[in-house]
Amino acid sequence: MKKESVRLTAAFLGTALLLFLVFCMNLFTGSAEISFSEVVKILASLGREGTAADILWKIRVPRALSAMLLGGALALSGYLLQTFFHNPIAGPFVLGVSSGAKLTVALVMIFLMGRYRSVGSAVMIMAAFAGSMLSLGFVLLISRKVKRMSMLVVCGVMIGYICSAVTDFVVTFADDSDIVNLRSWSLGTFSGMTMDNVAAIFLVVAVAFGGAFLLSKPIGAYQMGESYAQNLGVRVIALRAALILLSGLLSACVTAFAGPVSFVGIAVPHIIRVVFRTSKPILLIPACFLGGSIFCMVCDMIARTAFAPTELSISTVTAIFGAPVVILIMVRRRKGEY
Amino acid sequence: MTDILISADQLSVGYGKPLIENISFHVRGGEIMTLIGPNGSGKSTILKTLAGYLKVLGGRICLEEKQAESIPGKEKAKKLSVLLTERIRPELMTCRDVVETGRYPYTGHFGILSEKDKEAAQKAIEMVEIGDFADKDFSAVSDGQRQRVMLARAICQEPEILILDEPTSYLDIHHKILFLEVLRKLAHEKKLAVIVSMHELDFAEKISDYTLCVKDGSIYRAGTPKEIFNDQVLHELFDISAELYRRYF
Repeated sequence: MKKESVRLTAAFLGTALLLFLVFCMNLFTGSAEISFSEVVKILASLGREGTAADILWKIRVPRALSAMLLGGALALSGYLLQTFFHNPIAGPFVLGVSSGAKLTVALVMIFLMGRYRSVGSAVMIMAAFAGSMLSLGFVLLISRKVKRMSMLVVCGVMIGYICSAVTDFVVTFADDSDIVNLRSWSLGTFSGMTMDNVAAIFLVVAVAFGGAFLLSKPIGAYQMGESYAQNLGVRVIALRAALILLSGLLSACVTAFAGPVSFVGIAVPHIIRVVFRTSKPILLIPACFLGGSIFCMVCDMIARTAFAPTELSISTVTAIFGAPVVILIMVRRRKGEY
Repeated sequence: MTDILISADQLSVGYGKPLIENISFHVRGGEIMTLIGPNGSGKSTILKTLAGYLKVLGGRICLEEKQAESIPGKEKAKKLSVLLTERIRPELMTCRDVVETGRYPYTGHFGILSEKDKEAAQKAIEMVEIGDFADKDFSAVSDGQRQRVMLARAICQEPEILILDEPTSYLDIHHKILFLEVLRKLAHEKKLAVIVSMHELDFAEKISDYTLCVKDGSIYRAGTPKEIFNDQVLHELFDISAELYRRYF
Protein backbone atom coordinates (compact mmCIF):
# COMPACT_ATOMS: atom_id res chain seq x y z
CA MET A 1 0.00 0.00 0.00
CA LYS A 2 2.82 2.40 0.91
CA LYS A 3 4.67 1.51 -2.29
CA GLU A 4 1.51 2.17 -4.26
CA SER A 5 1.13 5.73 -3.01
CA VAL A 6 4.82 6.48 -3.58
CA ARG A 7 4.48 5.29 -7.17
CA LEU A 8 1.37 7.39 -7.76
CA THR A 9 2.94 10.50 -6.21
CA ALA A 10 5.99 10.03 -8.42
CA ALA A 11 3.77 9.64 -11.48
CA PHE A 12 1.87 12.82 -10.65
CA LEU A 13 5.02 14.83 -9.95
CA GLY A 14 6.61 13.53 -13.14
CA THR A 15 3.59 14.49 -15.21
CA ALA A 16 3.39 17.94 -13.63
CA LEU A 17 7.08 18.53 -14.28
CA LEU A 18 6.69 17.41 -17.87
CA LEU A 19 3.75 19.77 -18.26
CA PHE A 20 5.88 22.66 -17.03
CA LEU A 21 8.76 21.79 -19.37
CA VAL A 22 6.51 21.43 -22.40
CA PHE A 23 4.81 24.72 -21.60
CA CYS A 24 8.18 26.48 -21.45
CA MET A 25 9.29 24.86 -24.70
CA ASN A 26 6.17 26.18 -26.35
CA LEU A 27 7.11 29.70 -25.30
CA PHE A 28 10.69 29.34 -26.53
CA THR A 29 9.94 27.99 -29.98
CA GLY A 30 8.21 29.55 -32.93
CA SER A 31 8.62 30.80 -36.47
CA ALA A 32 9.88 34.17 -35.26
CA GLU A 33 13.45 34.06 -33.95
CA ILE A 34 13.44 35.16 -30.34
CA SER A 35 16.49 34.14 -28.38
CA PHE A 36 16.28 32.14 -25.19
CA SER A 37 17.64 34.96 -23.04
CA GLU A 38 15.24 37.42 -24.58
CA VAL A 39 12.23 35.22 -23.77
CA VAL A 40 13.42 34.83 -20.20
CA LYS A 41 13.92 38.58 -19.95
CA ILE A 42 10.46 39.34 -21.28
CA LEU A 43 8.84 36.79 -18.99
CA ALA A 44 10.80 37.88 -15.94
CA SER A 45 10.26 41.60 -16.33
CA LEU A 46 6.78 41.19 -17.72
CA GLY A 47 8.06 43.62 -20.37
CA ARG A 48 5.44 44.56 -22.89
CA GLU A 49 7.37 46.63 -25.38
CA GLY A 50 8.72 45.62 -28.74
CA THR A 51 7.81 43.04 -31.33
CA ALA A 52 9.28 40.16 -29.39
CA ALA A 53 7.17 40.92 -26.34
CA ASP A 54 4.10 41.25 -28.51
CA ILE A 55 4.73 37.89 -30.14
CA LEU A 56 5.21 36.31 -26.76
CA TRP A 57 2.26 37.81 -24.92
CA LYS A 58 -0.22 38.02 -27.76
CA ILE A 59 0.60 34.84 -29.65
CA ARG A 60 2.68 32.26 -27.85
CA VAL A 61 1.33 32.53 -24.30
CA PRO A 62 -2.38 32.42 -25.20
CA ARG A 63 -1.72 29.65 -27.71
CA ALA A 64 0.18 27.52 -25.20
CA LEU A 65 -2.43 28.14 -22.52
CA SER A 66 -5.30 27.25 -24.80
CA ALA A 67 -3.54 24.09 -26.00
CA MET A 68 -3.02 23.16 -22.37
CA LEU A 69 -6.61 23.76 -21.28
CA LEU A 70 -8.28 22.35 -24.38
CA GLY A 71 -5.99 19.32 -24.51
CA GLY A 72 -6.90 18.49 -20.94
CA ALA A 73 -10.57 19.07 -21.74
CA LEU A 74 -10.42 16.66 -24.67
CA ALA A 75 -8.73 13.91 -22.71
CA LEU A 76 -11.21 14.28 -19.88
CA SER A 77 -14.14 14.30 -22.30
CA GLY A 78 -12.81 11.08 -23.80
CA TYR A 79 -12.38 9.51 -20.38
CA LEU A 80 -15.97 10.35 -19.41
CA LEU A 81 -17.35 8.94 -22.67
CA GLN A 82 -15.31 5.77 -22.25
CA THR A 83 -16.75 5.39 -18.77
CA PHE A 84 -20.25 6.04 -20.01
CA PHE A 85 -20.11 3.48 -22.80
CA HIS A 86 -17.85 1.02 -20.95
CA ASN A 87 -15.77 1.17 -24.10
CA PRO A 88 -12.07 2.06 -24.29
CA ILE A 89 -12.25 3.31 -27.86
CA ALA A 90 -14.99 5.86 -27.27
CA GLY A 91 -14.03 9.50 -27.60
CA PRO A 92 -15.54 12.79 -28.76
CA PHE A 93 -13.93 12.54 -32.20
CA VAL A 94 -14.73 8.93 -33.11
CA LEU A 95 -18.29 9.20 -31.82
CA GLY A 96 -18.93 12.16 -34.09
CA VAL A 97 -19.41 14.59 -31.22
CA SER A 98 -16.67 16.94 -32.42
CA SER A 99 -18.00 16.91 -35.96
CA GLY A 100 -21.52 17.67 -34.77
CA ALA A 101 -20.17 20.64 -32.87
CA LYS A 102 -18.14 21.68 -35.91
CA LEU A 103 -21.26 21.73 -38.04
CA THR A 104 -23.33 23.90 -35.73
CA VAL A 105 -20.44 26.27 -35.06
CA ALA A 106 -19.79 26.66 -38.79
CA LEU A 107 -23.46 27.39 -39.42
CA VAL A 108 -23.66 29.91 -36.61
CA MET A 109 -20.41 31.59 -37.66
CA ILE A 110 -21.43 31.96 -41.27
CA PHE A 111 -24.86 33.18 -40.32
CA LEU A 112 -23.69 35.70 -37.73
CA MET A 113 -20.41 36.86 -39.28
CA GLY A 114 -22.24 38.14 -42.33
CA ARG A 115 -24.13 40.48 -40.02
CA TYR A 116 -21.95 41.30 -37.05
CA ARG A 117 -18.35 40.65 -38.17
CA SER A 118 -17.46 38.91 -34.94
CA VAL A 119 -19.06 36.24 -32.80
CA GLY A 120 -18.75 36.10 -29.01
CA SER A 121 -17.13 33.20 -27.20
CA ALA A 122 -20.31 32.35 -25.32
CA VAL A 123 -22.33 32.07 -28.52
CA MET A 124 -19.71 29.79 -30.07
CA ILE A 125 -19.62 27.52 -27.03
CA MET A 126 -23.39 27.31 -26.93
CA ALA A 127 -23.56 26.49 -30.64
CA ALA A 128 -20.90 23.82 -30.23
CA PHE A 129 -22.65 22.41 -27.19
CA ALA A 130 -25.91 22.12 -29.13
CA GLY A 131 -24.10 20.31 -31.93
CA SER A 132 -22.33 17.98 -29.50
CA MET A 133 -25.59 17.07 -27.83
CA LEU A 134 -27.25 16.46 -31.18
CA SER A 135 -24.63 13.95 -32.32
CA LEU A 136 -24.46 12.38 -28.88
CA GLY A 137 -28.23 12.04 -28.97
CA PHE A 138 -27.94 10.10 -32.21
CA VAL A 139 -25.18 7.90 -30.84
CA LEU A 140 -27.29 7.21 -27.75
CA LEU A 141 -30.30 6.28 -29.85
CA ILE A 142 -28.16 3.88 -31.85
CA SER A 143 -26.55 2.47 -28.72
CA ARG A 144 -29.96 1.35 -27.50
CA LYS A 145 -30.36 -0.79 -30.61
CA VAL A 146 -26.77 -1.85 -31.15
CA LYS A 147 -25.12 -3.58 -28.26
CA ARG A 148 -21.80 -4.31 -29.94
CA MET A 149 -19.30 -1.66 -28.96
CA SER A 150 -17.34 -1.76 -32.20
CA MET A 151 -20.53 -1.13 -34.17
CA LEU A 152 -21.29 1.84 -31.97
CA VAL A 153 -17.95 3.37 -32.88
CA VAL A 154 -18.57 2.70 -36.56
CA CYS A 155 -21.91 4.51 -36.27
CA GLY A 156 -20.19 7.41 -34.53
CA VAL A 157 -17.61 7.66 -37.30
CA MET A 158 -20.40 7.71 -39.89
CA ILE A 159 -22.22 10.49 -38.05
CA GLY A 160 -18.91 12.33 -38.00
CA TYR A 161 -18.53 11.97 -41.76
CA ILE A 162 -22.04 13.18 -42.43
CA CYS A 163 -21.54 16.27 -40.27
CA SER A 164 -18.14 16.96 -41.84
CA ALA A 165 -19.58 16.65 -45.32
CA VAL A 166 -22.34 19.11 -44.55
CA THR A 167 -19.82 21.48 -42.96
CA ASP A 168 -17.57 21.32 -46.04
CA PHE A 169 -20.57 22.00 -48.20
CA VAL A 170 -21.56 25.05 -46.19
CA VAL A 171 -18.01 26.35 -46.02
CA THR A 172 -17.56 25.99 -49.77
CA PHE A 173 -20.56 28.14 -50.49
CA ALA A 174 -19.98 30.71 -47.78
CA ASP A 175 -18.79 34.24 -48.58
CA ASP A 176 -15.08 34.35 -49.27
CA SER A 177 -14.33 36.90 -46.61
CA ASP A 178 -15.94 34.78 -43.91
CA ILE A 179 -14.14 31.59 -44.59
CA VAL A 180 -10.51 32.56 -44.35
CA ASN A 181 -10.57 31.70 -40.67
CA LEU A 182 -13.25 29.08 -41.01
CA ARG A 183 -11.23 26.86 -43.26
CA SER A 184 -8.25 26.47 -40.98
CA TRP A 185 -10.54 26.27 -37.96
CA SER A 186 -12.58 23.46 -39.49
CA LEU A 187 -9.40 21.39 -39.77
CA GLY A 188 -8.42 22.11 -36.20
CA THR A 189 -5.88 24.64 -34.98
CA PHE A 190 -4.80 26.45 -31.85
CA SER A 191 -3.67 29.53 -33.75
CA GLY A 192 -5.30 32.91 -33.38
CA MET A 193 -6.21 32.52 -29.72
CA THR A 194 -6.52 35.68 -27.65
CA MET A 195 -6.26 36.07 -23.90
CA ASP A 196 -10.02 36.73 -23.87
CA ASN A 197 -10.54 33.32 -25.48
CA VAL A 198 -8.28 31.76 -22.88
CA ALA A 199 -10.32 33.32 -20.09
CA ALA A 200 -13.57 31.95 -21.54
CA ILE A 201 -12.01 28.52 -22.04
CA PHE A 202 -10.67 28.51 -18.50
CA LEU A 203 -14.09 29.29 -17.08
CA VAL A 204 -15.91 26.50 -18.92
CA VAL A 205 -13.18 23.90 -18.49
CA ALA A 206 -12.75 24.65 -14.78
CA VAL A 207 -16.47 24.17 -14.15
CA ALA A 208 -16.62 20.92 -16.09
CA PHE A 209 -13.44 19.58 -14.51
CA GLY A 210 -14.75 20.40 -11.05
CA GLY A 211 -18.02 18.69 -11.83
CA ALA A 212 -16.30 15.55 -13.07
CA PHE A 213 -13.96 15.45 -10.09
CA LEU A 214 -16.85 15.71 -7.64
CA LEU A 215 -18.48 12.76 -9.39
CA SER A 216 -15.42 10.53 -9.10
CA LYS A 217 -16.97 8.34 -6.40
CA PRO A 218 -20.13 7.37 -8.33
CA ILE A 219 -18.07 7.07 -11.53
CA GLY A 220 -15.95 4.48 -9.74
CA ALA A 221 -19.04 2.50 -8.81
CA TYR A 222 -20.41 2.86 -12.33
CA GLN A 223 -17.31 1.13 -13.69
CA MET A 224 -18.61 -2.03 -12.02
CA GLY A 225 -21.64 -1.99 -14.30
CA GLU A 226 -24.95 -0.20 -13.96
CA SER A 227 -26.69 -2.88 -11.94
CA TYR A 228 -24.03 -3.07 -9.26
CA ALA A 229 -23.81 0.71 -9.17
CA GLN A 230 -27.54 0.94 -8.61
CA ASN A 231 -27.39 -1.64 -5.83
CA LEU A 232 -24.70 0.46 -4.14
CA GLY A 233 -27.09 3.40 -4.08
CA VAL A 234 -25.85 5.32 -7.14
CA ARG A 235 -28.58 7.20 -8.98
CA VAL A 236 -27.59 5.73 -12.29
CA ILE A 237 -29.84 7.80 -14.55
CA ALA A 238 -28.67 11.08 -13.03
CA LEU A 239 -25.06 9.99 -13.27
CA ARG A 240 -25.41 8.99 -16.92
CA ALA A 241 -26.96 12.35 -17.72
CA ALA A 242 -24.15 14.15 -15.91
CA LEU A 243 -21.49 12.18 -17.77
CA ILE A 244 -23.03 13.06 -21.11
CA LEU A 245 -23.50 16.73 -20.26
CA LEU A 246 -19.97 17.16 -18.92
CA SER A 247 -18.25 15.34 -21.76
CA GLY A 248 -20.39 17.22 -24.29
CA LEU A 249 -19.56 20.56 -22.67
CA LEU A 250 -15.83 19.82 -22.63
CA SER A 251 -15.61 18.73 -26.24
CA ALA A 252 -17.92 21.59 -27.29
CA CYS A 253 -15.53 24.05 -25.72
CA VAL A 254 -12.63 22.51 -27.64
CA THR A 255 -14.46 22.53 -30.96
CA ALA A 256 -15.75 26.07 -30.51
CA PHE A 257 -12.22 27.45 -30.20
CA ALA A 258 -9.87 25.02 -31.89
CA GLY A 259 -12.08 23.05 -34.23
CA PRO A 260 -12.25 19.27 -34.15
CA VAL A 261 -9.11 17.68 -32.71
CA SER A 262 -8.76 13.97 -33.32
CA PHE A 263 -7.66 11.03 -31.15
CA VAL A 264 -6.61 12.91 -28.01
CA GLY A 265 -9.77 11.75 -26.28
CA ILE A 266 -8.98 8.07 -26.84
CA ALA A 267 -5.22 7.95 -26.78
CA VAL A 268 -4.52 9.99 -23.66
CA PRO A 269 -6.77 8.17 -21.16
CA HIS A 270 -5.30 4.92 -22.41
CA ILE A 271 -1.69 6.06 -22.01
CA ILE A 272 -2.53 7.47 -18.59
CA ARG A 273 -4.03 4.16 -17.43
CA VAL A 274 -0.87 2.36 -18.49
CA VAL A 275 1.41 4.89 -16.79
CA PHE A 276 -0.59 5.24 -13.56
CA ARG A 277 -1.75 1.62 -13.47
CA THR A 278 -4.97 2.46 -11.68
CA SER A 279 -8.65 2.62 -12.50
CA LYS A 280 -9.64 4.96 -9.66
CA PRO A 281 -11.45 7.94 -11.18
CA ILE A 282 -10.30 10.25 -8.42
CA LEU A 283 -6.75 9.78 -9.72
CA LEU A 284 -7.53 9.28 -13.40
CA ILE A 285 -9.58 12.45 -13.82
CA PRO A 286 -6.76 14.86 -12.89
CA ALA A 287 -4.15 12.60 -14.49
CA CYS A 288 -6.02 12.47 -17.81
CA PHE A 289 -6.32 16.23 -17.76
CA LEU A 290 -2.57 16.68 -17.24
CA GLY A 291 -1.81 14.06 -19.88
CA GLY A 292 -4.11 15.70 -22.42
CA SER A 293 -2.47 19.07 -21.77
CA ILE A 294 0.99 17.68 -22.39
CA PHE A 295 -0.10 15.70 -25.45
CA CYS A 296 -1.77 18.69 -27.11
CA MET A 297 1.01 21.13 -26.33
CA VAL A 298 3.60 18.77 -27.80
CA CYS A 299 1.46 18.17 -30.87
CA ASP A 300 0.83 21.88 -31.31
CA MET A 301 4.54 22.59 -31.05
CA ILE A 302 5.19 20.05 -33.80
CA ALA A 303 2.32 21.43 -35.87
CA ARG A 304 3.69 24.93 -35.91
CA THR A 305 7.44 24.30 -35.99
CA ALA A 306 7.97 21.13 -38.05
CA PHE A 307 7.45 22.82 -41.42
CA ALA A 308 7.56 26.46 -40.33
CA PRO A 309 6.41 28.88 -41.54
CA THR A 310 3.73 26.52 -42.91
CA GLU A 311 1.51 25.23 -40.14
CA LEU A 312 0.05 21.76 -40.01
CA SER A 313 -3.47 21.34 -38.69
CA ILE A 314 -3.41 20.05 -35.14
CA SER A 315 -5.43 16.96 -36.04
CA THR A 316 -2.76 15.89 -38.52
CA VAL A 317 -0.25 15.65 -35.72
CA THR A 318 -2.56 14.21 -33.04
CA ALA A 319 -3.68 11.53 -35.49
CA ILE A 320 -0.11 10.45 -36.18
CA PHE A 321 0.52 9.89 -32.49
CA GLY A 322 -3.01 8.97 -31.42
CA ALA A 323 -4.21 6.53 -34.06
CA PRO A 324 -1.50 3.91 -33.38
CA VAL A 325 -2.57 3.92 -29.73
CA VAL A 326 -6.12 3.06 -30.78
CA ILE A 327 -4.85 0.15 -32.86
CA LEU A 328 -2.79 -0.98 -29.89
CA ILE A 329 -5.86 -0.92 -27.65
CA MET A 330 -7.82 -3.11 -30.06
CA VAL A 331 -4.99 -5.60 -30.45
CA ARG A 332 -4.58 -5.88 -26.68
CA ARG A 333 -8.32 -6.29 -26.22
CA ARG A 334 -8.27 -9.20 -28.62
CA LYS A 335 -5.61 -10.86 -26.53
CA GLY A 336 -7.93 -10.60 -23.58
CA GLU A 337 -5.84 -8.23 -21.58
CA TYR A 338 -8.94 -6.14 -21.12
CA MET B 1 -36.74 -17.16 16.08
CA THR B 2 -35.07 -14.25 14.39
CA ASP B 3 -36.89 -11.40 12.69
CA ILE B 4 -38.32 -11.48 9.21
CA LEU B 5 -35.86 -9.51 7.07
CA ILE B 6 -37.54 -9.62 3.68
CA SER B 7 -41.06 -10.52 2.70
CA ALA B 8 -43.27 -10.44 -0.35
CA ASP B 9 -47.01 -10.14 -0.16
CA GLN B 10 -49.20 -10.88 -3.21
CA LEU B 11 -46.29 -9.68 -5.34
CA SER B 12 -46.58 -9.38 -9.14
CA VAL B 13 -43.40 -9.19 -11.17
CA GLY B 14 -42.54 -8.80 -14.85
CA TYR B 15 -41.16 -6.47 -17.48
CA GLY B 16 -43.95 -3.93 -17.82
CA LYS B 17 -46.76 -6.44 -17.66
CA PRO B 18 -47.11 -9.09 -14.98
CA LEU B 19 -45.30 -12.34 -15.70
CA ILE B 20 -45.75 -14.00 -12.34
CA GLU B 21 -48.44 -13.01 -9.87
CA ASN B 22 -49.35 -13.76 -6.32
CA ILE B 23 -45.91 -14.38 -4.90
CA SER B 24 -45.87 -14.45 -1.12
CA PHE B 25 -43.06 -15.53 1.17
CA HIS B 26 -40.88 -14.32 3.98
CA VAL B 27 -37.26 -15.00 4.84
CA ARG B 28 -35.87 -14.64 8.36
CA GLY B 29 -32.30 -13.88 9.31
CA GLY B 30 -30.33 -17.12 9.15
CA GLU B 31 -32.51 -18.71 6.49
CA ILE B 32 -31.73 -19.61 2.91
CA MET B 33 -34.53 -19.56 0.34
CA THR B 34 -33.84 -21.12 -3.05
CA LEU B 35 -35.63 -20.56 -6.34
CA ILE B 36 -35.64 -23.49 -8.71
CA GLY B 37 -37.32 -24.04 -12.06
CA PRO B 38 -36.66 -24.32 -15.79
CA ASN B 39 -34.77 -21.68 -17.78
CA GLY B 40 -36.91 -18.68 -18.65
CA SER B 41 -39.48 -19.47 -15.97
CA GLY B 42 -38.99 -16.10 -14.30
CA LYS B 43 -36.54 -16.76 -11.46
CA SER B 44 -34.39 -13.81 -12.47
CA THR B 45 -37.42 -11.59 -12.87
CA ILE B 46 -38.42 -12.30 -9.29
CA LEU B 47 -34.91 -11.66 -8.02
CA LYS B 48 -34.56 -8.46 -10.03
CA THR B 49 -37.80 -7.16 -8.60
CA LEU B 50 -36.76 -8.04 -5.07
CA ALA B 51 -33.46 -6.23 -5.57
CA GLY B 52 -35.27 -3.15 -6.91
CA TYR B 53 -34.21 -3.29 -10.57
CA LEU B 54 -37.74 -3.86 -11.80
CA LYS B 55 -40.85 -2.05 -10.70
CA VAL B 56 -43.22 -3.86 -8.39
CA LEU B 57 -46.30 -4.48 -10.54
CA GLY B 58 -48.61 -5.43 -7.71
CA GLY B 59 -48.55 -6.36 -4.06
CA ARG B 60 -45.56 -5.34 -1.99
CA ILE B 61 -42.05 -6.14 -0.87
CA CYS B 62 -41.00 -5.27 2.65
CA LEU B 63 -37.52 -5.08 4.09
CA GLU B 64 -38.23 -5.73 7.76
CA GLU B 65 -41.32 -3.56 8.30
CA LYS B 66 -40.64 -0.97 5.64
CA GLN B 67 -41.93 -1.04 2.10
CA ALA B 68 -38.90 -1.53 -0.15
CA GLU B 69 -39.58 1.27 -2.66
CA SER B 70 -39.79 3.88 0.08
CA ILE B 71 -36.24 3.22 1.27
CA PRO B 72 -33.67 5.63 -0.23
CA GLY B 73 -30.87 4.09 -2.34
CA LYS B 74 -27.97 4.65 0.04
CA GLU B 75 -29.86 3.25 3.00
CA LYS B 76 -31.10 0.26 1.04
CA ALA B 77 -27.54 -0.43 -0.08
CA LYS B 78 -26.66 -1.11 3.55
CA LYS B 79 -29.48 -3.63 3.87
CA LEU B 80 -29.45 -5.55 0.65
CA SER B 81 -26.68 -6.60 -1.70
CA VAL B 82 -26.63 -8.67 -4.84
CA LEU B 83 -24.61 -11.05 -6.96
CA LEU B 84 -25.86 -10.96 -10.53
CA THR B 85 -25.34 -13.00 -13.68
CA GLU B 86 -24.01 -9.87 -15.39
CA ARG B 87 -20.24 -10.21 -15.86
CA ILE B 88 -18.12 -7.29 -14.90
CA ARG B 89 -14.86 -6.48 -16.66
CA PRO B 90 -13.03 -3.96 -14.57
CA GLU B 91 -9.69 -2.74 -15.86
CA LEU B 92 -6.59 -2.66 -13.75
CA MET B 93 -8.37 -3.66 -10.56
CA THR B 94 -7.12 -6.27 -8.13
CA CYS B 95 -9.60 -8.65 -6.53
CA ARG B 96 -9.24 -6.62 -3.36
CA ASP B 97 -10.15 -3.43 -5.25
CA VAL B 98 -13.29 -5.15 -6.51
CA VAL B 99 -14.22 -6.30 -3.00
CA GLU B 100 -13.66 -2.79 -1.66
CA THR B 101 -16.21 -1.31 -4.08
CA GLY B 102 -18.77 -2.84 -1.72
CA ARG B 103 -17.87 -0.16 0.84
CA TYR B 104 -19.46 2.52 -1.34
CA PRO B 105 -22.46 3.23 0.91
CA TYR B 106 -20.15 3.76 3.90
CA THR B 107 -17.46 6.07 2.50
CA GLY B 108 -17.50 9.87 2.32
CA HIS B 109 -17.98 12.13 -0.64
CA PHE B 110 -14.75 11.19 -2.39
CA GLY B 111 -15.00 7.50 -1.63
CA ILE B 112 -11.70 7.36 0.29
CA LEU B 113 -11.52 4.11 2.30
CA SER B 114 -10.97 4.45 6.03
CA GLU B 115 -9.09 1.88 8.09
CA LYS B 116 -12.44 0.49 9.12
CA ASP B 117 -13.49 0.03 5.51
CA LYS B 118 -10.25 -1.77 4.73
CA GLU B 119 -10.75 -4.02 7.74
CA ALA B 120 -14.26 -4.87 6.58
CA ALA B 121 -12.90 -5.77 3.14
CA GLN B 122 -10.19 -7.91 4.73
CA LYS B 123 -12.78 -9.71 6.87
CA ALA B 124 -14.92 -10.42 3.82
CA ILE B 125 -11.86 -11.72 2.00
CA GLU B 126 -11.07 -14.07 4.88
CA MET B 127 -14.65 -15.22 5.19
CA VAL B 128 -14.75 -16.24 1.53
CA GLU B 129 -11.17 -17.55 1.72
CA ILE B 130 -9.81 -15.67 -1.25
CA GLY B 131 -6.77 -14.28 0.60
CA ASP B 132 -4.37 -16.27 -1.60
CA PHE B 133 -5.23 -14.34 -4.71
CA ALA B 134 -6.80 -11.17 -3.31
CA ASP B 135 -4.01 -8.97 -4.65
CA LYS B 136 -3.98 -10.50 -8.11
CA ASP B 137 -5.59 -8.69 -11.01
CA PHE B 138 -9.30 -9.49 -11.23
CA SER B 139 -9.03 -10.32 -14.93
CA ALA B 140 -6.27 -12.83 -14.21
CA VAL B 141 -8.20 -15.19 -11.91
CA SER B 142 -10.56 -18.03 -12.86
CA ASP B 143 -14.34 -17.80 -13.15
CA GLY B 144 -14.81 -19.72 -9.93
CA GLN B 145 -12.46 -17.42 -8.09
CA ARG B 146 -14.12 -14.36 -9.57
CA GLN B 147 -17.49 -15.51 -8.37
CA ARG B 148 -16.17 -15.77 -4.82
CA VAL B 149 -14.60 -12.31 -5.15
CA MET B 150 -18.03 -10.99 -6.15
CA LEU B 151 -19.50 -12.73 -3.11
CA ALA B 152 -16.88 -11.09 -0.89
CA ARG B 153 -17.82 -7.78 -2.49
CA ALA B 154 -21.46 -8.37 -1.62
CA ILE B 155 -20.57 -9.30 1.97
CA CYS B 156 -18.29 -6.30 2.34
CA GLN B 157 -21.40 -4.17 1.84
CA GLU B 158 -22.52 -5.56 5.23
CA PRO B 159 -26.07 -6.33 4.15
CA GLU B 160 -28.79 -8.10 6.06
CA ILE B 161 -30.17 -9.63 2.89
CA LEU B 162 -28.23 -11.26 0.10
CA ILE B 163 -29.78 -11.90 -3.31
CA LEU B 164 -27.89 -14.16 -5.72
CA ASP B 165 -28.89 -15.05 -9.27
CA GLU B 166 -27.54 -18.46 -10.31
CA PRO B 167 -24.20 -17.85 -8.63
CA THR B 168 -22.94 -21.40 -9.07
CA SER B 169 -23.98 -22.08 -12.67
CA TYR B 170 -20.60 -21.89 -14.33
CA LEU B 171 -18.50 -23.28 -11.51
CA ASP B 172 -16.96 -26.72 -11.28
CA ILE B 173 -17.95 -29.00 -8.39
CA HIS B 174 -15.01 -27.89 -6.27
CA HIS B 175 -15.95 -24.23 -6.56
CA LYS B 176 -19.68 -24.91 -6.28
CA ILE B 177 -19.16 -26.57 -2.92
CA LEU B 178 -16.79 -23.90 -1.64
CA PHE B 179 -19.25 -21.23 -2.70
CA LEU B 180 -22.28 -22.84 -1.10
CA GLU B 181 -20.33 -23.47 2.08
CA VAL B 182 -19.75 -19.73 2.39
CA LEU B 183 -23.44 -19.06 1.80
CA ARG B 184 -24.33 -21.51 4.54
CA LYS B 185 -21.86 -19.83 6.92
CA LEU B 186 -23.28 -16.39 6.08
CA ALA B 187 -26.79 -17.50 6.87
CA HIS B 188 -26.06 -19.54 9.95
CA GLU B 189 -23.31 -17.52 11.58
CA LYS B 190 -23.98 -13.98 10.36
CA LYS B 191 -27.76 -14.44 10.38
CA LEU B 192 -28.23 -13.09 6.89
CA ALA B 193 -31.36 -13.73 4.90
CA VAL B 194 -30.21 -15.39 1.67
CA ILE B 195 -32.30 -15.70 -1.50
CA VAL B 196 -30.62 -17.65 -4.25
CA SER B 197 -31.70 -19.11 -7.59
CA MET B 198 -29.97 -22.23 -8.82
CA HIS B 199 -30.16 -25.17 -11.20
CA GLU B 200 -28.38 -27.76 -9.10
CA LEU B 201 -31.26 -29.57 -7.41
CA ASP B 202 -29.05 -31.81 -5.30
CA PHE B 203 -27.29 -28.81 -3.80
CA ALA B 204 -30.48 -26.80 -3.49
CA GLU B 205 -32.02 -29.54 -1.41
CA LYS B 206 -29.06 -29.52 0.97
CA ILE B 207 -28.85 -25.81 1.64
CA SER B 208 -32.48 -24.64 1.47
CA ASP B 209 -34.66 -23.82 4.39
CA TYR B 210 -37.45 -23.00 2.00
CA THR B 211 -37.87 -23.38 -1.76
CA LEU B 212 -39.97 -21.67 -4.40
CA CYS B 213 -40.58 -23.64 -7.59
CA VAL B 214 -41.15 -21.31 -10.53
CA LYS B 215 -42.78 -22.62 -13.68
CA ASP B 216 -44.68 -21.07 -16.58
CA GLY B 217 -45.32 -17.75 -14.96
CA SER B 218 -46.47 -18.95 -11.61
CA ILE B 219 -45.19 -20.27 -8.33
CA TYR B 220 -45.76 -23.91 -8.98
CA ARG B 221 -44.98 -25.07 -5.48
CA ALA B 222 -43.45 -23.62 -2.36
CA GLY B 223 -42.31 -25.35 0.77
CA THR B 224 -39.55 -26.90 2.81
CA PRO B 225 -37.01 -29.16 1.08
CA LYS B 226 -38.90 -32.21 2.38
CA GLU B 227 -42.06 -31.09 0.63
CA ILE B 228 -40.39 -30.08 -2.60
CA PHE B 229 -37.55 -32.41 -3.34
CA ASN B 230 -39.40 -35.56 -4.24
CA ASP B 231 -39.80 -37.24 -7.60
CA GLN B 232 -43.40 -36.22 -8.02
CA VAL B 233 -42.82 -32.47 -7.76
CA LEU B 234 -39.55 -32.37 -9.64
CA HIS B 235 -40.48 -34.32 -12.72
CA GLU B 236 -43.55 -32.19 -13.14
CA LEU B 237 -41.63 -28.97 -12.49
CA PHE B 238 -39.11 -29.74 -15.22
CA ASP B 239 -41.56 -31.49 -17.61
CA ILE B 240 -39.77 -34.79 -17.60
CA SER B 241 -41.54 -38.14 -17.50
CA ALA B 242 -41.29 -39.93 -14.18
CA GLU B 243 -39.38 -42.74 -15.79
CA LEU B 244 -36.80 -40.50 -17.39
CA TYR B 245 -36.44 -38.54 -14.18
CA ARG B 246 -35.68 -41.66 -12.15
CA ARG B 247 -33.05 -42.78 -14.58
CA TYR B 248 -30.97 -39.73 -13.81
CA PHE B 249 -31.82 -38.90 -10.18
